[in-house]
Amino acid sequence: MSEAPVTAPAGDAVPAKRKLSAKPHSRADRVFYGLARSAAYGAIVIVALILVFLLMRSVPTLASQGIGFVTGSTWDAAATPAKLQVGPMIWGSILIAILGVIFAVPMSIATAYFIEFMAPKRFAAVATLIVDLLAAIPSIVIGLWGLAVFTPVASHWAELLHKGLGWFTVFSSDTGIFTGTPFIAGWIVAVMIVPIVTSVAREIFSQMDRDIINATLALGASKSTSLFQVILPTASGGIVGGVLLGLGRALGETVAIFFVLNLSFSINWGQILQNRGGSIASMILSKFGEASSVEIGGLMASGLVLFVITLLVNWVAAWIVAKAQPWRR
Amino acid sequence: MSNLVSMDPGNLPGLPRPAIEPWSAPNPRRALKVTLASVLPMIVAVAATLLFNIDPAVGLILVFLPLQIIASMWVGTNIYGKKGRGDALLVIFTIFFTIFVGVLLVSLIWSVILQGFKAMSWQFISQNNIYITSTTGLDYGGVGHAILGTVLVVGLTTLVTVPLGIMVAVYLTETREAARGSVRTLVQAMSGLPSVVSGLFVYSAFIASGLAHQAGWLGSLALLPLMLPTVARVAEEALRLVPNELRNGALALGAPAYRAFLQVTMPAAKSGLITALILGIARIIGETAPLVVTVGIANGTVWDMNQPMSALPSYIFQFVGNANDTSIQRAWGAALVVLILVAILFTTARVMSRKKSTTAKKRK
Repeated sequence: MSEAPVTAPAGDAVPAKRKLSAKPHSRADRVFYGLARSAAYGAIVIVALILVFLLMRSVPTLASQGIGFVTGSTWDAAATPAKLQVGPMIWGSILIAILGVIFAVPMSIATAYFIEFMAPKRFAAVATLIVDLLAAIPSIVIGLWGLAVFTPVASHWAELLHKGLGWFTVFSSDTGIFTGTPFIAGWIVAVMIVPIVTSVAREIFSQMDRDIINATLALGASKSTSLFQVILPTASGGIVGGVLLGLGRALGETVAIFFVLNLSFSINWGQILQNRGGSIASMILSKFGEASSVEIGGLMASGLVLFVITLLVNWVAAWIVAKAQPWRR
Repeated sequence: MSNLVSMDPGNLPGLPRPAIEPWSAPNPRRALKVTLASVLPMIVAVAATLLFNIDPAVGLILVFLPLQIIASMWVGTNIYGKKGRGDALLVIFTIFFTIFVGVLLVSLIWSVILQGFKAMSWQFISQNNIYITSTTGLDYGGVGHAILGTVLVVGLTTLVTVPLGIMVAVYLTETREAARGSVRTLVQAMSGLPSVVSGLFVYSAFIASGLAHQAGWLGSLALLPLMLPTVARVAEEALRLVPNELRNGALALGAPAYRAFLQVTMPAAKSGLITALILGIARIIGETAPLVVTVGIANGTVWDMNQPMSALPSYIFQFVGNANDTSIQRAWGAALVVLILVAILFTTARVMSRKKSTTAKKRK
């Protein structure tokens, strides 16, 4: 928009200079923009309302429990004063999300690489469609599958792992029961986030400048060199963002984990084959039904903790994805 | 790329294509090596697994994978020299992980279809759950009331959320307000709201505080913050794809902004906006936790949104909780219904967005 010097027109044929304005001048327009503005502010209000309400309801619990709320591991609402501590659940959520990401990331990157660089065009199109469809499968269906089909298989894997590598603390188990473990919950979460991470990684790969890749190959690099030295470093921002998006989903996952995990209020630091673990979201679902008002406060506080964690993860993810995908601007 | 395009192709002397294309000549020895390397390890591994009675999972990881790696690295080195090694590893792991993902996901879909069809029948879709206990045979009862519940709850959410989401998208694309950046970030952050927290919010605001009892409309309320980000984001992308020339043209012809939007921008983005609607529905149709918390469970057919009602996900939840063979069968049947609904929605969205992507290309 260059500003041309306005010269005074000579003669009466030219109408008087109109006042230019970027603001809506008719009433209907003002209503239209007002509606849009109020919708946008409405969205802000909803998030703020949820946050403020959760905060308000959880302040009594947080005040009475203190730091023990997130570090302790006793949940006894009947005791006086009530002990509401969700340390194992918070750590369990994080542990399961980390496991899910560890399982999902290699699979997703490999699948995205396969679809984008190795598969024939037709097959790639079909695979892309399937991956996108899978991202829309409701978690309760995955939970049902996890309970009825996957748990027997995965507990068998867990048993083998325990037999082979049981001397290693991570794979040790003293109960000999391999169902309801964080290991299985991690796999279920991985199945849920693989489509998300894959589709983000695939999109990043497909938007990459092919000339760079071809140049590395022309310089004599092998395909693996070009993947690790060129493709992954270039795409890393977007992939990390996609992984964080998946992590956010994994942290908030409720029903699927509720079906396959044995919730227990004793902290499990990382023995992933023990059949006790935790998950804030599942714990809320399992407890809200017969909860007293004191317990509701505790549940609200754990919901708040969960929301804050996922909010942080999502914010970081959105920021990284936006930085890594300038073409989406 | 751009350099090549800008060159005048007429001035370039055309190179004749060589009569023999050395790169496409069949190389029997190479073909034999590649075939051997891809078949032998599998045969050896299967044979070893069967002969020594090894567990299939162990056989796969400890026998097949190392053999396959050795074989491929040998062939890679043999054909391409040192740099063939890395490529061999890359190919092996890529294909291995991809097949693994494929097996997991196909198993998921396949078991839902297989198990779901065992429970499927006309009465399963049409009847409700009155007088059905966890041991009643599959000849009686069904998910009719749950389908109705899903339609009512999700429908009410859609009625409220879609206009709201589209208006948020309008705010983000059509206005030049200062707060756009923060609204966009906030909507993005909202998409990370755990569904159970949303349910808990409505539960403690209305039910625990005694303002209302479990009811369908509370479920719609709990689903709203989950659906809004999806609708707003997809609608924003759709509106953004409408070329600015169209908007400016309408405005230059003297149309007020709201008419320019309603009669020019919105029709141009119609398919994208419908996609937003469909993806939004697909996002919430399977949400379980908020419904279990706020809507509760009912066995009869309930039309009254002020009463507890069952939806498909809470029906699945209810019957999985029973942990009994016929109950699990019912859950599978309901899961199949949900999956079919999602697939229908998704296919429709796909068809719609295919039209949208043609406008996207033109704009680039």
